[in-house]
Amino acid sequence: MSQKTRMAPKPDPQSLSATAADSSAQVSIDPFFHILKFVPYSFLRPPRLRLKLPSFSLPSAMTVFSLILLTYFMVVSGFIYDVIVEPPGIGSTQDPATGAVRPVVFLSGRVNGQYIIEGLSSGFMFVLGGIGIVLLDLALDKNRARSIKVSYSIAGISSIVIAYVMTTLFIRIKIPGYLR
Amino acid sequence: MAAVANMPVSDLLKSFKLKTKQQELLIRVSILCLVYILAFITRLFSVLRYESMIHEFDPYFNYRTTLYLTQNGFYDFWNWFDYESWYPLGRIVGGTLYPGLMVTAALIYRILHFLRFAVHIREVCVLTAPFFASNTTLVAYFFGKEIWDTGAGLVAAILIAVCPGYISRSVAGSYDNEGVAIFALLFTFYLFVKAVNTGSLAWSLASAFGYFYMVSAWGGYVFIINLIPLYVLVLLITGRYSMRLYVAYNCMYVLGMLLAMQIRFVGFQHVQSGEHMAAMGVFFLMQVFYFLDWVKHMLSDTKLFQAFLRITVTCAVTVGTIALGLGMLSGYISPWTGRFYSLLDPTYAKDHIPIIASVSEHQPTAWSSFMFDFHILLFLFPAGLYFCFKRLSDATIFIVMYGLTSMYFAGVMVRLILVATPAVCLISAIAVSATVKNLTVLLRSKNKGVQTGSTKGSGSSKASSKALLDQSQPFQKNGAIALLFGAFYLLSKYATHCTWVTSEAYSSPSIVLAARGAHGSRVIFDDYREAYFWLRQNTPPDAKVMSWWDYGYQITAMGNRTVIVDNNTWNNTHIATVGRAMSSYEDEAIEIMRSLDVDYVLVVFGGVTGYSSDDINKFLWMVRIGGGVFPVIKEPDYLVNGEYRVDKGAAPKMLNCLMYKLCYYRFGEMLTEYGKPPGYDRARGVEIGNKDIKLEHLEEAFTTSNWIVRIYKVKPPNNRW
Repeated sequence: MSQKTRMAPKPDPQSLSATAADSSAQVSIDPFFHILKFVPYSFLRPPRLRLKLPSFSLPSAMTVFSLILLTYFMVVSGFIYDVIVEPPGIGSTQDPATGAVRPVVFLSGRVNGQYIIEGLSSGFMFVLGGIGIVLLDLALDKNRARSIKVSYSIAGISSIVIAYVMTTLFIRIKIPGYLR
Repeated sequence: MAAVANMPVSDLLKSFKLKTKQQELLIRVSILCLVYILAFITRLFSVLRYESMIHEFDPYFNYRTTLYLTQNGFYDFWNWFDYESWYPLGRIVGGTLYPGLMVTAALIYRILHFLRFAVHIREVCVLTAPFFASNTTLVAYFFGKEIWDTGAGLVAAILIAVCPGYISRSVAGSYDNEGVAIFALLFTFYLFVKAVNTGSLAWSLASAFGYFYMVSAWGGYVFIINLIPLYVLVLLITGRYSMRLYVAYNCMYVLGMLLAMQIRFVGFQHVQSGEHMAAMGVFFLMQVFYFLDWVKHMLSDTKLFQAFLRITVTCAVTVGTIALGLGMLSGYISPWTGRFYSLLDPTYAKDHIPIIASVSEHQPTAWSSFMFDFHILLFLFPAGLYFCFKRLSDATIFIVMYGLTSMYFAGVMVRLILVATPAVCLISAIAVSATVKNLTVLLRSKNKGVQTGSTKGSGSSKASSKALLDQSQPFQKNGAIALLFGAFYLLSKYATHCTWVTSEAYSSPSIVLAARGAHGSRVIFDDYREAYFWLRQNTPPDAKVMSWWDYGYQITAMGNRTVIVDNNTWNNTHIATVGRAMSSYEDEAIEIMRSLDVDYVLVVFGGVTGYSSDDINKFLWMVRIGGGVFPVIKEPDYLVNGEYRVDKGAAPKMLNCLMYKLCYYRFGEMLTEYGKPPGYDRARGVEIGNKDIKLEHLEEAFTTSNWIVRIYKVKPPNNRW
């Protein structure tokens, strides 16, 4: 057969057996096949199973994007800092006058330090701002009903505004001399 | 008559009127020129405030080597053995540094001298980083153009010109490898993406040379040699294998690897080190892919090909795993080094390698560091990722991968925010460009609708329908204008933030300290340079100075004296010896100092000025590092109930160790603050415990005017009779 002369230069016996098995579907020259036909499977009967190898298909782009957004939220809220440095969830100071213990949300004094809760809330604000811009883009897509477009654009604009205002507020609380 | 006279003028004006394409080109070129200048001048704060000097610690070593290079030529520089550091071991400088930065600065120096500009090499060194930052903006423009379009390229150039994450390591005076390396990194990535997009051999070879420049510039080249194979793997998995990718990756890998081996510091790591094996594995995988593609092209039977495919892939994977296993077991392929392993497993350094864990730049990143260094870009980054996912192509897949991997590493280590900055700027530029484009399309289509309506409008029915549409159109037009103003407002806030951060946080030379005086006036502490100059003038030329490793580079560069340990930290035992000497009693310490031929000891003390990065605050690291090698030094001996104190309640070992005595000698009589007792340490905020300090084997040689640097002379042994 002309196919065989144009095959791979060094055919190993398994590929040869595959070609032979394919070209003449009945008789196989595979020795292992013949051995196995005799030794266990002449008296053992394999059961009829309806198993299928799990087929592996690539997820869609938007699924991957949502996973990435989750990872981004974790990284940007200082998750690794939390795991290694193990700060408390929220700080506390003692009121000098009354002696009561008051919670302190923002770790002040250092730029590279945080409590867990402040990290998570800031990370949420960043992701909210990002989603706001995404919603704006979805609102400008032509193939939707007008009411949905309007609601997307309102949600997008309000998300961006809230996220920006809150983030500026947070950084002003944390770094007292900000922009002065 | 007047009309005729006016005609030539209007004709003249008409001849100057450019076509739209030329107008666009003019706008683009002028924007790029302005951005180039902006990137340069925003980094000049410290030069204008103080003077043109080199900052920090590491740049002093780079400056010293560049000086040596310009004075002695490349051959002597490449084979230089430095006997003035790490006494008595010395340091093979030629084989343990990345020469890219020094060679670049020396080249610029030679070019300027050739053009008869007689500049001093120090000026060239100080201004190298801003110059390369400007070049990076140009590369960012071309890269953005490659990934998305020219608008995104322009925005990327603007964003990266002022982004604080990049400015922090490329201000004027910060003469460090990163200043040049980020340019080389972005350049290599741009050339590689261009090669993958065009499939041209020329671009692939250019990317190999770009990679060579990166390898010569910075140890972070490991990021490139791992990201590009990962990118190729992702392309293969998503079914984007093509001949262009094959040509680009093969050329870049083979030629890049050969070129990289020319750098002595890198040596044979590309075939021997575990960190570089991913690239080799993907290289062989590409050959398998090409082979399978060729066989598929030859065969016309698909079932045959499926069988062949399964067998070949199994064989290839088995052979690869066996080869890798053999390599690692026999020790030929070395495992990942501690510095890079701690990026994958961040808890590793804390438990095992205290030197890496002690550097403040290696701490993980908190949210405020991200906000400080990125500001608006943190919102635009996920939006840009969304746009990239909407329009997937080879180039956008690359920038997404670069962005994600670099953001993860930036989360692990603060210093690596620098590597993430170009990716974040590019992706944010995509978001800005796409959003602005959407909004302006909204604006311009409404205009067109109104105009066609007015020109065509004849029938009343048409007029009424147009009127209905016109009701919503101005609203949308106004909305679009408002949103554009909002975007402009946000970007201007970004620019304000970046300039403020640059001015306040990232422009301090670290070697000159500044503080606000009593009435708001600025007080400058120039104690470091005062002490180094004193060393240079008043000690014998072969004197050996012992200090903590932070100051080693500065002492050799400015004081011109031999040091025991310096910032290279290549020998942990030597550093531990110094740490042991600093934390022992004076009698034990003098034995160690005599064995090392130490003549002078230098300590940094912040008690008078309130300077908090002094040796007493770093002392616990000396104990930990010393105790890591010499178990006789135990950290709990220096602590009281787990607390580190220097006042009356401090541990007795702490009150009598060498570091304490050298820092607080004669400090007990010093009045530092009004209303506080003498001997009040302003940096720790306590009155010191041991005020009456007597030194037996050392004597005070020099204390700077603000007591920040103190130098002691080791007395020769007593005469024996």
